[in-house]
Amino acid sequence: MNTSQSPRPSLASLEKKAYWLGLLLLASGLHVFEAAMPSLGPWFKLGLANIITIIVLATMGAKAAASLAIARVVIGAFFIGTIFTPTFIISFTATLASTTVMILAWRFIPRISLIGVSLLAALAHMCSQFIVVEQLFIQQIALYYLLPPLLVLSCATGWLNGALATYITAQLTIRSK
Amino acid sequence: MPIRSTSTPMHEADPSNEPSLWHWLKGTWVDRTLLLLTLIAIIMGWLWIQQNLSGTPMVHIYHGKTLLATYPLHPDKPIHFEAQGDIGLSEITIDSDGVRISHSTCTTQRCVLSGHRHRVGDILACVPNRILVSIQGSQKLALDAVSE
Repeated sequence: MNTSQSPRPSLASLEKKAYWLGLLLLASGLHVFEAAMPSLGPWFKLGLANIITIIVLATMGAKAAASLAIARVVIGAFFIGTIFTPTFIISFTATLASTTVMILAWRFIPRISLIGVSLLAALAHMCSQFIVVEQLFIQQIALYYLLPPLLVLSCATGWLNGALATYITAQLTIRSK
Repeated sequence: MPIRSTSTPMHEADPSNEPSLWHWLKGTWVDRTLLLLTLIAIIMGWLWIQQNLSGTPMVHIYHGKTLLATYPLHPDKPIHFEAQGDIGLSEITIDSDGVRISHSTCTTQRCVLSGHRHRVGDILACVPNRILVSIQGSQKLALDAVSE
């Protein structure tokens, strides 16, 4: 009997997968932690889980970052109990938008750092949340009155998260040498 | 793993060479330009909204696109309005402190926890129930006129 065996994956490939999975668990944990934290106001979160997406973008590339962001939102929603609810739809589309902006900015804007990437991602996340809520649920233009102060907060959290991601990426790079 | 250079050069793990907090926070000139442009855009947007929100403050209660009720923000006696949404009733109270969603059938209760709103331009929203409470000036928003 012929048994066709696929070649064993290389150690480097396994190590990369384990690293990605570890970061996915960390991102999912941060997602759940943020949901459990006292609310800092409606529509607003610190975006701690996004730090992990940015680190993965810088260290593993766009594909790994996009898959981590999507997996994190789905796993997080399972744990919080919001899967397929309006909260999940808003969170999922906002994550897709922010990750796309993140990847495009990192790839196409010269001299941008992880701080700029994080800033643009935070703004994209906030704007897309409002667009989804306005288009699918509330359908009132008055909703956008809330946007300017929340965008200012997004600038602050986006900048700080980007700085944290820069620091962590630099530390990881030193230790991997 | 291929790592694209981040804004900051990688440093040796020597504590004496540890860069300052400012080093990690400053970003590149591109980042700072993006931040500046964003803040200018936000301020211009905010000023434009404020210009359009003058007049006597009125509370507008919507379900989706439908305007359910309009009340003055400072009524003579408290008003309790029950708005029928997609998943049940949302009770809206307007009193001397402003307007709040006092009861809702949604599971998250974020709308109820939002508390009172009393300034023109403030909103309260219950997304699962598709109820929006908005405080607007009696002057019509240019945006509203466009959307109708």
